[in-house]
Amino acid sequence: MEFSPVTANLSPWEPGVFSLAVYAALVAGLLCLILFLTVWLGDKKDTPEKLSPYECGIIPTGLSRLHVPVPFYLVATFFLIFDVEAAFIFAWAIAFRPLGWAGWLRISFFIIVLLVSLLYLWEKGALEWAPTYRIRPAKKTVS
Amino acid sequence: MGAHLPHKAGKENRFLSAVDLVVNWSRQYSLWPMFFGLSCCFIEEAAVLTARYDLARFGAEVMRGSPRQADLLIISGTVFKKVAPVVLKLYEQMPEPKWVMSMGSCSNSGGMYDVYSVVQGVDQILPVDVYIPGCPPRPEAILHGLMLLQKKIMQERPSRRIFHLQGGTQGTVTPIRVDGVTKNRDARGPGFNGVPLRGTSVTPPFFWESRSAGMWTPPPRRIELSAAEQTLAQSLAARFGEAVKPAASSSDMPTFTVAGDRLKEVLGYLKYEAEPRFRRLDDLTAIDESTRKERENYPDYTLVYQLLSYENASRVRLKVAVPGPEPEAVSITDIWPAANWYEREVFDMFGLRFKGHPDLRRLIMPHDWEGHPLRKSYPDRATAMAPYTHEDARKIQPLDAGIYLRRPQGDEKLILNVGPHHISTHGLMRFMVALEGERITDIDMDIGYHHRGVEKIGERQSWHQFIPYTDRVDYLSGVSNNLPYLLAVETLADIKVPDRAKFIRVLLCELFRLNNHLISFATFAHDCGAMTPTFYTFREREKIMDIVELITGGRLHPSWFRIGGVAMDLPEGWKEPIDDFIKTFLARLKEYEAIITKNPIFEARTREVGYLSRDDALEWGVTGPVLRASGVEWDLRKKMPYSGYEAFDFDVPSFEDGDCYARYLVRVEEMRQSLRIIEQAAAQMPPGRYVTDEYRYSLPAKRDTLHDIESLIHHFINCTRGPKIPRGEAYQATEIVRGEQGYYVVSDGGNMAYRLRIRAPDFANVQAIPLMARGELLADLIAIIGSVDFILPDTDR
Repeated sequence: MEFSPVTANLSPWEPGVFSLAVYAALVAGLLCLILFLTVWLGDKKDTPEKLSPYECGIIPTGLSRLHVPVPFYLVATFFLIFDVEAAFIFAWAIAFRPLGWAGWLRISFFIIVLLVSLLYLWEKGALEWAPTYRIRPAKKTVS
Repeated sequence: MGAHLPHKAGKENRFLSAVDLVVNWSRQYSLWPMFFGLSCCFIEEAAVLTARYDLARFGAEVMRGSPRQADLLIISGTVFKKVAPVVLKLYEQMPEPKWVMSMGSCSNSGGMYDVYSVVQGVDQILPVDVYIPGCPPRPEAILHGLMLLQKKIMQERPSRRIFHLQGGTQGTVTPIRVDGVTKNRDARGPGFNGVPLRGTSVTPPFFWESRSAGMWTPPPRRIELSAAEQTLAQSLAARFGEAVKPAASSSDMPTFTVAGDRLKEVLGYLKYEAEPRFRRLDDLTAIDESTRKERENYPDYTLVYQLLSYENASRVRLKVAVPGPEPEAVSITDIWPAANWYEREVFDMFGLRFKGHPDLRRLIMPHDWEGHPLRKSYPDRATAMAPYTHEDARKIQPLDAGIYLRRPQGDEKLILNVGPHHISTHGLMRFMVALEGERITDIDMDIGYHHRGVEKIGERQSWHQFIPYTDRVDYLSGVSNNLPYLLAVETLADIKVPDRAKFIRVLLCELFRLNNHLISFATFAHDCGAMTPTFYTFREREKIMDIVELITGGRLHPSWFRIGGVAMDLPEGWKEPIDDFIKTFLARLKEYEAIITKNPIFEARTREVGYLSRDDALEWGVTGPVLRASGVEWDLRKKMPYSGYEAFDFDVPSFEDGDCYARYLVRVEEMRQSLRIIEQAAAQMPPGRYVTDEYRYSLPAKRDTLHDIESLIHHFINCTRGPKIPRGEAYQATEIVRGEQGYYVVSDGGNMAYRLRIRAPDFANVQAIPLMARGELLADLIAIIGSVDFILPDTDR
């Protein structure tokens, strides 16, 4: 099969972009219409009870502005790092044939570096959710 | 359903009428009920969702967990004063338009719970569209209620409201009812003000000339102490001398009166040194002795401590006299940490303070409640108190969770309420957790949202009349609840139950065990993310309900056992459905297990989660499957057989792991064992009477009443004011589905109990939840709740 770049269909200099613009406008219009209708048609009675947050029927304690624990931040960071790297790999996969073996070698090196860093993080305990609070006795397993 | 609009054609704008039609039609077939249950009724509401009744046919099967996504609130069950503010808040947090269905007698009018803690009709705080009668209503009744609501929706005029025009109606418009103006809480109807309710003249403390006082009964049962118990009595006498006095006679277990100042020594001795050691604090409660007939023989208050020894399966009761009017005793929380809740309960209900208690505050009643309900001077009926109003529900909010979980200054842990309204709390229970990330660092519980005042009701209903209330204590166990109560009464009055009645009782109790474990299986799996089992297990459950209905005529609450036996003989053709059921059930159970037992997601959610050690389980008085999952092979049916269980061949499953998965395995295995018992009971059903012929206590057979005058007289007396039970006390516990449920009945020689105490298995099990949950993830708490499988009317009573 002849290789043809995917980008060919998206060339801005072809009239195809017009239909894209119309489509975008339609989507935006529909969104506005739906938002307007829900706001206008919906019956609203804003009482303090109704505007208060739902927490199983109880008035919540404290504010929602808390110091977020570090593990959440770490997970977010790792996700970002590994996700961005995935973007490189996808790009390479699309250009798999033109890049040839040279590309394959380079991306393999890239992936290995990634794996090594992942193992390093694992080893460091960065993937542990939190320190274990309690040590459980060893137990028999049920057959 | 046809669209019959009530307006006159031509007057209303045609366009608006057309919009009305379309909007109403759409709304009536797409109702979104909130996943909201208060008590027993919700079980029938859940049954409506499943295959046999199939709510999906009405387009209303999608239950929403949050009020923000729901437009139909079905108040299924008893509305308690403690939970009423929550119900109101949830209602107000629902979007417009919204509708309300009141389901069941309790929600409609308070029903059989005319008691201090129950709102006498939810329409006093919320507007209601449709009332469904029944206790609980059958699933068909719910469907009927839904169809009525659909009809009502079809008659609304929403279009004017939608287009911001004048007029039009949608949602609930019925006004809230006000007692004395638009409704009357008196069940007899209006106009009876000042006329006391029937029977109130004989209810303590204001009884005069009760005819029971003039009746003769044989003395209460009297036991001979066994050799081990005599040794125990001697060792206590040798060690404590005058401070420990054995009771003159006892109907059930060795009983001692202990001097208040030596109590802790005696308890410490019994727990650590005595032979055998009494390791479990079985129960701790109090009696207000102020309205005894022979007042001079009793102190103001009596504290009752009941201990259990695992070593030789025996119990002992200690009684301590406490003088009033501001009674105070010593706390034993340093000997048994499990005494914490028991002492708080006694403080809450009797106003009896405990010196040295770490945290003595109300446990069951709301924090700002006035008075102590189980004192004899406290009114028992809600109708004798001021009506609970919409304003009350708005004002009296549950305490802030920050007060329960005390934090050091500057601590910024997230504090989260799980419950009282939550899909996974299995009822009205409030967990408060302090979270560090997702990790639970601290947890406390607020119970009492389901307190139905059963113990107080027991003091005003005759011995027979109280039976229906026991059914509702653990609403998934049905008649199994009748059994411990009746056994206690039968022990006290020394009533012999015929073999056939014993077998019938066992048969039904085990059917209800299956019923509960099937639901538990489904809800536990549901809590861990598997929706499917619900639809399967409810199929088998309906079959069990069919059998129960064939035999008893009822579903959830048959109230079918009677003093001395059961209400009637087994009907013709009772055996075939049971045999059919036995044939298919094992294969079905295998099918269910195939979905869940080896399911990797389920295992990941439950294995090594919610660990409860063997020692903790013994120490905290945990019973039932939770205890057996912690490696203790303890089942009252084997250890202290009752009602003929010794005649049956079955095993007691137990597992060592002590985690949620082990609890699940115990229940699955118990289903197999229950089936074995059912098979044996059905096959070996002995002939003979189904109820004792001691007509002094039981309800005489109708045929006998037509032949001899004695039976006729007893029939008359026992049906009206009820039998007289000799003065004394007795405790009997049975292994109901959740553990040991025991009834401690105290009779003052009247036609109703002087004090009725329920030792609830879940009270102890729930108190132990922090041991399992601390240090786990928030999501694990849900698995733990599912695996403990508690039920709130049993916890709160």
